[in-house]
Amino acid sequence: MFAFLERHKKIILTSVIIILAALALFTSGKKANATWLESALGFVITPIQDVTTGVGNWVDNTLTNRREQSEIVAENEALREQVASLQSDINRLQKYETENARLSSLLRIAQKYPQYDSFGTTIIAKNPGSWYDVFTIDKGTSDGVKSNMVLCSAEGLVGKVLESGATYAKGQSILDSRSSVPAMSLRTEDLGVVKGDYTLMNDGLCKMEYIDAEAEIAVGDEIVTSHLSDIYPPGLTIGKVKEIKNDTNGLTKYAIIEPAVDLKHLDTLLVIDNSDVQAQNEAATTDQTTNTTDTTDTTNTTNTSNQTNNQTINQTSNTTTNQTTNQTSDMAPEEETP
Amino acid sequence: MRIFLTIVIVLVNFILQTTLLPYIAIGGVMPHTGLIIVVSLALLRGSTEGAWTGFVTGVLMDVFFGTSYGYYALIFLLLGFLSGRSQKNFYRENYLLPIIFCSLAVVVYETVIFITGLLSQGDIHVLYFLVRIMVPETVYTAIITIPIYRLLFGINEWLELKEKYKYRLF
Repeated sequence: MFAFLERHKKIILTSVIIILAALALFTSGKKANATWLESALGFVITPIQDVTTGVGNWVDNTLTNRREQSEIVAENEALREQVASLQSDINRLQKYETENARLSSLLRIAQKYPQYDSFGTTIIAKNPGSWYDVFTIDKGTSDGVKSNMVLCSAEGLVGKVLESGATYAKGQSILDSRSSVPAMSLRTEDLGVVKGDYTLMNDGLCKMEYIDAEAEIAVGDEIVTSHLSDIYPPGLTIGKVKEIKNDTNGLTKYAIIEPAVDLKHLDTLLVIDNSDVQAQNEAATTDQTTNTTDTTDTTNTTNTSNQTNNQTINQTSNTTTNQTTNQTSDMAPEEETP
Repeated sequence: MRIFLTIVIVLVNFILQTTLLPYIAIGGVMPHTGLIIVVSLALLRGSTEGAWTGFVTGVLMDVFFGTSYGYYALIFLLLGFLSGRSQKNFYRENYLLPIIFCSLAVVVYETVIFITGLLSQGDIHVLYFLVRIMVPETVYTAIITIPIYRLLFGINEWLELKEKYKYRLF
């Protein structure tokens, strides 16, 4: 048998090849159900294949799982780190955002008074106790802060510098009972002096005194610094009238002022360098004509930028002329209690 | 060591008092921790040290918040000195006396400031001063005195123990 096969190996091989080729040729394109032979073969083999594939898959899955697990752990760690860094980024950006808002509002106020140099500063400490409202700011003579410079925030006047050290300066807010600021009502131009009062200080309010009894000042009027001061530039917002009361003498009345600035929660300030203006004021006594044009300019800009209602636009010209005459005729001294 | 520690205590208190204390203010009233420290140290250590502590505290106040030099320094020095006078007459472990002394010191301190304010500015709001400033501040200070006195008492005990060993006093 084997000898026969061995002898006719070539012929058998050739014939098998030919048969298979013929079969392939004839059955190609045939799309029918599997024959019984194929089915039988399938019946035997497919379950085994199933199991083998299952085992293979299992091994493969386990291996990949193992690998993926470590990968996932690593990825998880990386993602956590990323989340943390993004979170800190968000925090940082939020901080920048609030800082940006604060600084740009300060910049707005800096642009409101372009004739003065100004720079930002931060409050670092406050006077303990309930009598005076004195605080420390983080800039001093080395940054150009001098005494009697004016402190502002975006909303309006805060106070002035009492004394300046090399790296710090003492500021006094308008709520301090020793502070007094010459002021006027923006609408009616009634003059007065805004003073601090320790009975009002804790409520964040102050008092405007020496208002003429005939004055037409009303609740809600905007109070600004007047031109009668050597320290405070005119037109700075102080606050709004909250209440008006008559003095016991009947000749004057006083108003309770609600400052535009929330003086109880304040951290960033703007120091306005008014030394040029002070020098100008001193020079004004000798050279009045140049000063007249100068002040006209400055009052114009401050007033127009400060306007919140249409009413005041009409007043600008009045104020300007009024102030010009005032500046030239009498250089009124700062009304300040010693 | 003692001098160094006292200066550190005064400085740390000053920094905290001017920056963080407003957070525990009730209706704008803050306990005067600087005053508590001066009086407590005076009670624990006598009038000389009380006066020195008061002087340092007052100078700090003058430099950073005062409008004249020596005003606060004088008040604190006198308060420290006077409360130190009674040091020999009571048991340090007792809490009642420091509380009474600190409250008294606050009353004296506020009254002095009120009177100087009255003299220089002529504001007369006696009722407001009594109801809104003096009484609440005295009460608040009295309460805060307890933990601060306890802390200073502990520090003092520790220092005295060290000094005892150092000088072989027994």
